[in-house]
Amino acid sequence: MKQLCLFLTLTFFLPALAPANESAPQVQDSPVAQAPIQLHSVKADFVQEKHLKILARPIISTGTFTFQAPQSLRWEYQKPLHSILLMHGGKVKKFIERDGQLTEEKGMQLDSMQVVLAEITNWLDGRFTDNAMFTVSFPDKKTIQLTPKDKGIAALISTIELKLGEQAGLLDAVTIFEGPDSSTRLTFTNRVLNQEIPASLFTDR
Amino acid sequence: MKPFLLSVLFLCLAACAADRRPMPTLTVSKDATGAKGCEAVYPQGRWQFVHSIDFSMQDGSGGTVIGVTSLAGNELTCVLMTIEGFTLFEAAYQEGKGLAVQRAVPPFDKPAFAEGLMRDVQMIFLAPSTKNMRYGRSADNVPVCRYAGIDGRIIDIRPAVDGCWQIQTYTADLIMDRAIVGQSCRKEGDSLIPEHLELRGFGQTGYTLKMTLIQAENLGAVSE
Repeated sequence: MKQLCLFLTLTFFLPALAPANESAPQVQDSPVAQAPIQLHSVKADFVQEKHLKILARPIISTGTFTFQAPQSLRWEYQKPLHSILLMHGGKVKKFIERDGQLTEEKGMQLDSMQVVLAEITNWLDGRFTDNAMFTVSFPDKKTIQLTPKDKGIAALISTIELKLGEQAGLLDAVTIFEGPDSSTRLTFTNRVLNQEIPASLFTDR
Repeated sequence: MKPFLLSVLFLCLAACAADRRPMPTLTVSKDATGAKGCEAVYPQGRWQFVHSIDFSMQDGSGGTVIGVTSLAGNELTCVLMTIEGFTLFEAAYQEGKGLAVQRAVPPFDKPAFAEGLMRDVQMIFLAPSTKNMRYGRSADNVPVCRYAGIDGRIIDIRPAVDGCWQIQTYTADLIMDRAIVGQSCRKEGDSLIPEHLELRGFGQTGYTLKMTLIQAENLGAVSE
């Protein structure tokens, strides 16, 4: 379950890879480090496509994503099932709509999510090669490929591929490959950078 | 202290006894044409279903996952994933070949979970053998198809309850161990597809699954 939480958190924090801290060390050869921008916040819409061998058509989910430095997040699915994941002030909550009402999902292993959070902030600081969890490679100027080092995680996720957008530091898409026949692709649109976001967005459902 | 413990024990036994639902009697009909309605409960051909599944256990724990079920005759594949798209469990069942688990992430990696899940999925999507079927009416005058398995288990199908259908299964001791209630059925060809399904598992590890249909796709006939 820890690995699952890791995966979820990785997914949540990937859409904005621009540095949140200008003084953080940058990797000179990485595409992200070539044109760093200071990131305070980012909002975006996303479309999630789940591909499986048995599926005649992918399962499409849609939603919105809001991140504010250093560690506030709202990850909200509108379809096919309304759910909200909130992270703020070191606390993580998840709500899912049941019988027309958003109810809190209990039993999440929040501690492990918070541990992973520390790892993710490295990425937000632009540290891509100095990573304990993933081997990082840059197949081309627009692509970052993350391969798990840990065998346990590798059994669940074979690769994560990040596609960079035209604007430095922002992502167009993330694809998580679980195996040869299973992947999840997230495509981001309507991104808005560095807008002032009220804290209540990260605490209230 | 002793009287208190005895009272608690008595209450527990009473609760267990209350949860033991015996199989109702069936008045067999001579005219079994109504049994055709039981066939419509099970989708024919190749189908793919996507459901949101809320599961809750007797101890109050629970969660929500997305379930994908692929049907091709007597072959059945089932995938459970998180809303975020992470695959938790994938298994296939084929009559004669049995169950093959392709992926199982903790805590879904216990063999008992795989067996239990696939039994539930089979119960919802795969028609029982019609060799030992009797058709009749229950005490409340509802049409029932009653199937007897070789292991002594009994499956009751009520093909017409509130515009949809219900399934109950009984152990060899004739005690109910599963009950499925379909709601808001829609007709797709010869099949009745419910928008909502509620499955209750009785016994020591009681649980409830509430399934809401997200997508149902008929992929045509099964190729030989």
